[in-house]
Amino acid sequence: MILYALDKVQQRCNGRVVLDIDHLEIEGGRIHALLGPNGAGKTTLLNILGFLETPVSGTMLFNGRAVEPVPKRLLHLRRQVVLVDQHPIMFSTTVASNIEFGLKIRKIGKSTRQRMVDEVLATVGLSRYKTARAHELSGGETQRLALARALVLEPEVLLCDEPTASVDTENQAIIISLLQQINTERGTTIIFTTHDRLQAASLAQHTLMLENGRLTTTAYENSYTCTFHRNGSSQVRGILQGITEFFLPAPPPGWPPIRTGRMHIAPEQITLERHELQPRTGSTMTGTIILLMTEGEKIRVVVNVGVLMVVLIDQARYAELRPVIGETICLRFEADAISFLQE
Amino acid sequence: MSFFLESFLAACRLAWSLDPELLTIVRVSLSVSCLATVFAALVGIPAGFAIAHGRLPGKRIIITLLNTLLALPTVVIGLFVYVFISRRGIFGPLDLLYTQQAMIIGQFILIVPLIAALTIAAISRVDERYRKTAKTLGANAWQTGLVVLREGRFGIAAAVISAFGRVISEIGISMMLGGNIKGFTRTMTTAMALEYDKGSFTLAVALGLVLMAISLGINVLFNLIQGRSSR
Repeated sequence: MILYALDKVQQRCNGRVVLDIDHLEIEGGRIHALLGPNGAGKTTLLNILGFLETPVSGTMLFNGRAVEPVPKRLLHLRRQVVLVDQHPIMFSTTVASNIEFGLKIRKIGKSTRQRMVDEVLATVGLSRYKTARAHELSGGETQRLALARALVLEPEVLLCDEPTASVDTENQAIIISLLQQINTERGTTIIFTTHDRLQAASLAQHTLMLENGRLTTTAYENSYTCTFHRNGSSQVRGILQGITEFFLPAPPPGWPPIRTGRMHIAPEQITLERHELQPRTGSTMTGTIILLMTEGEKIRVVVNVGVLMVVLIDQARYAELRPVIGETICLRFEADAISFLQE
Repeated sequence: MSFFLESFLAACRLAWSLDPELLTIVRVSLSVSCLATVFAALVGIPAGFAIAHGRLPGKRIIITLLNTLLALPTVVIGLFVYVFISRRGIFGPLDLLYTQQAMIIGQFILIVPLIAALTIAAISRVDERYRKTAKTLGANAWQTGLVVLREGRFGIAAAVISAFGRVISEIGISMMLGGNIKGFTRTMTTAMALEYDKGSFTLAVALGLVLMAISLGINVLFNLIQGRSSR
């Protein structure tokens, strides 16, 4: 079942387009990760999905019904969707009163409220802090309390902005397992933002990637600031992040003498080779494998070439090559694997 | 120096003996200033909240105007209110001149801008995330406003206390609109001015001591509130 459907949705901030979604459908009952670097538009999209911001243009459907920017209608929708901030703020009352806030607004009776507060505190493991001042909790506990405050409302959708970004490892594990538990037991749709691909892969059943406010299939990874210098007519020297040097032997026609900007190297268009073979077309870099993991039908290989470079290879190539962590490996890609990103 | 010391000791004895005249003056001062503060709070807090929280056109101009009014001298307010409530003024028939009500009106005008301006500052300091959190938890505009007001409560309380401190120590309005009538509109500050004119310092110093004790009390309360706010 499609829960959200966004069409030609655009959001501006101070005249600048911060989000530009051509088409997006989000299925209900699943865990979705919204992946992207800082400033990609993740929080803006989350605010729109949480009905806290109204896009300047485009249409949005929730549960098949058009979302109208009418206060009464938006209030009704907000009571089905709760957003947990990256740095949640607690009301200056007790832990229990913070959790009760949304229940009081929904006019839930006192005894039922008390029971629900006790249950949710037990779920997030904060029962012993029930009467404590909410501002006295640690960062990780505050994040759990924010989750409890949202979960007690039993929302249809739970939106989490970087839920584990500012908490320690122990609290990260608790929060991740809580999100999985809620999704499994209650069927709550969970949409969370992260810039941690590993977390997205381990927790989410579906991953959306944002880059410069736009949905992308290429992910934001392998995006670097790069300066190219043309050496004569046959070769272009590129420097990634001011660190890693590589050469483009056959630059496309019309390539300027010096070019600087952010560029993306498509991970699936990079090939891995055990030894650098000469002469061959394309650019080469040599680095050390630091991570290997499965990603759907592909294998993700992260190679340290001075910067971290992600390579996606298929299972057959993996079986043939059998790369191991710590091994030195050669990366090869053609000029068409490079695309320049808008600033 | 010995003259000051003698006056000071005599004033301490007067204050300690709970002199009836002294008590009447203190009572009038407190009742007038408290009522003026309550009325000003009832107007200034909602006005300040509406300006800070709402999306009013010309918000900056209103704030600039309020900040300008903070510097309004008490004698100007006294003169302004006098024009309206004197025998020849449009409210002359109400016979308000030289009454406690006239003093309350003047003091009210003096501190409404102060309370409104400090409420604006208190509400503006409330973290924007409170508003967002209340909204996402399902609060409507009214309930969201109450959340913001609650989070700014210490700043607002400090605004009211500051306003009380301002009116209890003012003299221009009390003198011009109250007339310094003994037992009726004589306040601590007007009595002190009168005793000074008479060259009788004992009561003036005693009243000064009471006024300073009240100021000290207000400041202690102010600091307590600020301390709680910053926690």
